[in-house]
Amino acid sequence: MANLGEQLLNALTLAGLLFLVSAGLSLVFGILRVVNFAHGVFYMLGAYLGYTTVMLTGWFWPALIIVPPVVGALGALLESSTLRFIYRRPPIYQLLLTFGLALILEEALRILYGPTAKGFDPPTYLQGAIALGSLLYPRYRLFVVALGLAVAAAVWLFLRKTRAGLVIRAVAQNSEMADCLGANVARVRTLVFGAACALAGLGGVAAAPMTTAYLGMGIGVIVDAFVVVVIGGLGSIGGSIAGSLIVGAAQTWGAFYLPETAMVIMYAVMGAILIFRPWGLFGEEE
Amino acid sequence: MRGTRALAAVALVALAVVPWVAARHQLSLLTDLLIYGLFALSLDLIMGYTGMVSFGHAAYFGLGAYASALVLIHFAQPVPVALLAGALLAGAVALPVGWFSTRATGIYFAMLTLAFAQFLYTVAYKWRDLTGGSDGIAGVPKTALFWGGPSLASPQAFYALVAACVVLSLVLCRAVVRSPFGHALEAIRENERRFMSLGRDPRPFKLAVFVIAAVFAGLAGALFAPFRGFASPEVMFWVFSGQGLMMVIMGGIGTLVGPILGAMVFILIQEVLSSYTEHWMIFTGFVFVLMVIFLPDGLVGTARRLRARG
Repeated sequence: MANLGEQLLNALTLAGLLFLVSAGLSLVFGILRVVNFAHGVFYMLGAYLGYTTVMLTGWFWPALIIVPPVVGALGALLESSTLRFIYRRPPIYQLLLTFGLALILEEALRILYGPTAKGFDPPTYLQGAIALGSLLYPRYRLFVVALGLAVAAAVWLFLRKTRAGLVIRAVAQNSEMADCLGANVARVRTLVFGAACALAGLGGVAAAPMTTAYLGMGIGVIVDAFVVVVIGGLGSIGGSIAGSLIVGAAQTWGAFYLPETAMVIMYAVMGAILIFRPWGLFGEEE
Repeated sequence: MRGTRALAAVALVALAVVPWVAARHQLSLLTDLLIYGLFALSLDLIMGYTGMVSFGHAAYFGLGAYASALVLIHFAQPVPVALLAGALLAGAVALPVGWFSTRATGIYFAMLTLAFAQFLYTVAYKWRDLTGGSDGIAGVPKTALFWGGPSLASPQAFYALVAACVVLSLVLCRAVVRSPFGHALEAIRENERRFMSLGRDPRPFKLAVFVIAAVFAGLAGALFAPFRGFASPEVMFWVFSGQGLMMVIMGGIGTLVGPILGAMVFILIQEVLSSYTEHWMIFTGFVFVLMVIFLPDGLVGTARRLRARG
């Protein structure tokens, strides 16, 4: 029983991280109609900048608070200096552009930080394990679960209950109409892109104490995030939540019961869902 | 049109003359470039002529490489048998993958092909008994052209085989895109809804061209393994799929010849950069960004536009 509980919490931890990455990916697709290949690199950037911040200040919390806006600002800057000019082209061009950005950022991090992984510790009161009934579970992982849930709730409330969220949803639904009604579409795109990068950066900071910051972590996470949004449906936050939970569960239970074929399970689940819903659980037909 | 034919003749003569004049390492580099050219050519069939962006094309190159390596090492068959095995395995795997992926369109198609390719990459990585895991399969021999026939071990002989395969593939792909089947593909690219409203189902066409492209990519991979002497998971990695897309864009999407040239230029740029710095990836990234923004039609596309204007 304790074992099942532990697996469940592991799945939720993974789902929390996957949500932080896939939500931004999905949001950017919804607003900009761009699949951002560089999204995983912003996650990686968050982890490395988190390491630097912790090394400079000796604290964990500044990293969690300062790094996401910095990553977001960089994202917004890159969007307004490159992507903005090619929205009218077929999607392949935007995909390749973000692919190029991903190569540049990844290699820049390799030059700056070298090939060894960089780890840092969470604050002392989040270290060690806590007893949940008969189960001992790492406190930090519980914190990640809580963070994922809090951000999911915040994003959902922001999109549903605020005026800015309303404008974003309007641009997602019909950007030309929103433009005619006075929404500043270019600014919405830049801000959404930046916010999505900030979420990925937050995910990176949160992940680093567990996984360390290492080269290639961006690529690993982006492929998982693609599977999440394919399962959940692009452009839907609800889909991102559902997809993260499904992939988190598939990977956790797969790694436990069938360690050699854990990845296969994730793809099998994706394949099964796509047979019945080619646009994902919450996606809309194009 | 006459200009194009003259260019083709010059290119063929050049390909035939090179082995007599080029130094050993130059010939080896050119063989390499031609293999990548074949890979980009196959991608252009689905990308340029059908408008389907596959982000997992490296998987079929990799499948071809593994099949070829295994056949050559374990059965010591002539190279053409290995080429056939590589092309067939790639096509056979592309059939179910394509069946799933062509259910989706646009960006979903790209992500599905990527996910399947990463899956195949993981299989190649984990199935250590068959594929050698991360080490890959080394020591793939260049065997004979046919049973008891001449050896392909010399650089000239293997170059000739690769050049012949690339030219033949280019001719076949041209025939495909100029056939009624090819026109149907272009109709799907231009307006899939209209194609459906004319009473045709686009999916069999898309599946067919997906498999054909995988077969040619498999052939390129099957040439790669004996040429380099190894097959490893790297050739199935998604970065290689992305580079393939870039080769096509760089040369000129939907021109067949363009992607071959694009692949050559792309690999040459990498070769030159990597001899100066180990961080060449960063420059590759800049090339991507600048090409996409300033030269979206690629080399051949831009040249054609300039000629049409002048």
